[in-house]
Amino acid sequence: MSAIEVHQFAQCITCHAWSPDQTMVAFCPNNTEVHIYNKSSQGKWERVHILQKHDQIVSGIDWSARSNKIVTVSHDRNSYVWNQEASEWVPTLVILRLNRAALCVKWSPKENKFAVGSGAKTVCICYYEQDNNWWVSKLIRKKHSSSVTSVAWHPNNILLATTSTDGKCRIFSTFIKGVDSRESLSSSSLDMKFGEQIVQLDLSFSWAFGVKWSPSGNTLAYVGHNSMIYFVDDVGPSPSAQSVAFNGLPLRDVLFVSERMLVGVGFDCKPMVFAADERGIWNFVRLLDQRKLAPSGTKYGSQISEAFGKFYGQSKSTVSNDAVEPSRSHGGVHENCINSIVPLKIVDGTVKRFSSSGLDGKVVVWDLENQPEFSL
Amino acid sequence: MANTQRSYLTCIRNTLEAAMCLQNFPCQEVERHNKPEVELKTSPELLLNPVLICRNEAEKCLIETSINSIRISIKVKQTNELENILTKRFLRFLSMRAEAFQVLRRKPVQGYDISFLVTNYHCEDMHKHKLIDFIVQFMEDIDKEINELKLSVNTRGKLVATEFLKQFL
Repeated sequence: MSAIEVHQFAQCITCHAWSPDQTMVAFCPNNTEVHIYNKSSQGKWERVHILQKHDQIVSGIDWSARSNKIVTVSHDRNSYVWNQEASEWVPTLVILRLNRAALCVKWSPKENKFAVGSGAKTVCICYYEQDNNWWVSKLIRKKHSSSVTSVAWHPNNILLATTSTDGKCRIFSTFIKGVDSRESLSSSSLDMKFGEQIVQLDLSFSWAFGVKWSPSGNTLAYVGHNSMIYFVDDVGPSPSAQSVAFNGLPLRDVLFVSERMLVGVGFDCKPMVFAADERGIWNFVRLLDQRKLAPSGTKYGSQISEAFGKFYGQSKSTVSNDAVEPSRSHGGVHENCINSIVPLKIVDGTVKRFSSSGLDGKVVVWDLENQPEFSL
Repeated sequence: MANTQRSYLTCIRNTLEAAMCLQNFPCQEVERHNKPEVELKTSPELLLNPVLICRNEAEKCLIETSINSIRISIKVKQTNELENILTKRFLRFLSMRAEAFQVLRRKPVQGYDISFLVTNYHCEDMHKHKLIDFIVQFMEDIDKEINELKLSVNTRGKLVATEFLKQFL
């Protein structure tokens, strides 16, 4: 078993992010606040800050690794960049110019820009403007035909992949004059303007979520709501794609552990491992959380059904024994849908430790170090 | 229980398990709103194909899914007038107390006797498997309950008739 830490922080967590040194975790307990917990010297987790500025549920948090800034987005259409000054976190409003909810946020690798996906069918690329002392946004409009569910930055700081509920995955150039330099671009992507669509991948028949680039940026992976995962190599004029179907419920998010291994999390409450063989063919390997199912003694215990039973009086007490077998709980570490997965410890480009959070309010830290099959 | 009902309920349970993959999703049409998409039906891309599970013409179950909500509508078996009246009365009684059941819809979808509406908020508060158990248990019990009611109406009728006819002896 590879779950090494389980923290029940709240009733329900929508998203979480770790501080650069990984001693602090920021998460949204399914409301308008962002809570920051710190690990004290005795190894206990204590709440140190509450960031209150949003007035609807916070849908995305990202903590930049180098500049130590937190960016949060919320369904209230706003975004704030939080800067630590002394012991306080000071928010700066970002003018997103959105008229619908913001759904996801990601810092670019160089941390001079961040991308926000929104329900307004647009993507905002935000950057800091020195003269005005605030974050301004440039919009990629009219490219998506539904909400943007996830965004991912290519390591070159220019390319941005997005997934949307119209089932498509798109890749854009986000070159901004004055922010990005021409040197960072490869020759093939020299003449790309801001907001230019490079590829549109139409592989999924259902909503697409959880897009990620591999560490080198050669492979792109995203999931569809039809229990499929898609891998795309050689993104450019002639991409090659692989669709992998798996048993079980759809995934919500993925994480590249290395160039050839990926962990996916979702409605099945257990992380799934996918790996590529020598020929580069991706396959499902195994579940990460193989725990024995504890035999549940009580046959029935839900609150509503108890209330329902009372309501019914005596007719409930005589449950016939040929009733349809009630479904069991999953018996894993997570008890509800996992909706985010974040890398924690990266050694030589390989993720050794990652954390997941879900609707059950747990943040679970998973360790891959002592597992020989993860040394790919 | 007849074997056919068992497979009918198992089919519904499996469909619900696959369909109940819901997430928080704000409205794309109206600013700062968050509504069950299956009720609004404003964005067709956010809806999945509805599934209709029929045991026979009189008994069926419609499962409509969207990104943040799922609607389950049930038609209960009514073979005669008495069952018809009993079902109508009983389900109306339940629908009027919909708040107590949380996932019950106040009004059934047209053509059905009773509807449930499960949103992502229910999935956040409650265990998914317990929710599915509740719905399946409900379907199982409703037939039994109607049968019991029918039996007691008949018994009562018989008793009343006997008592009434005694005076002519």
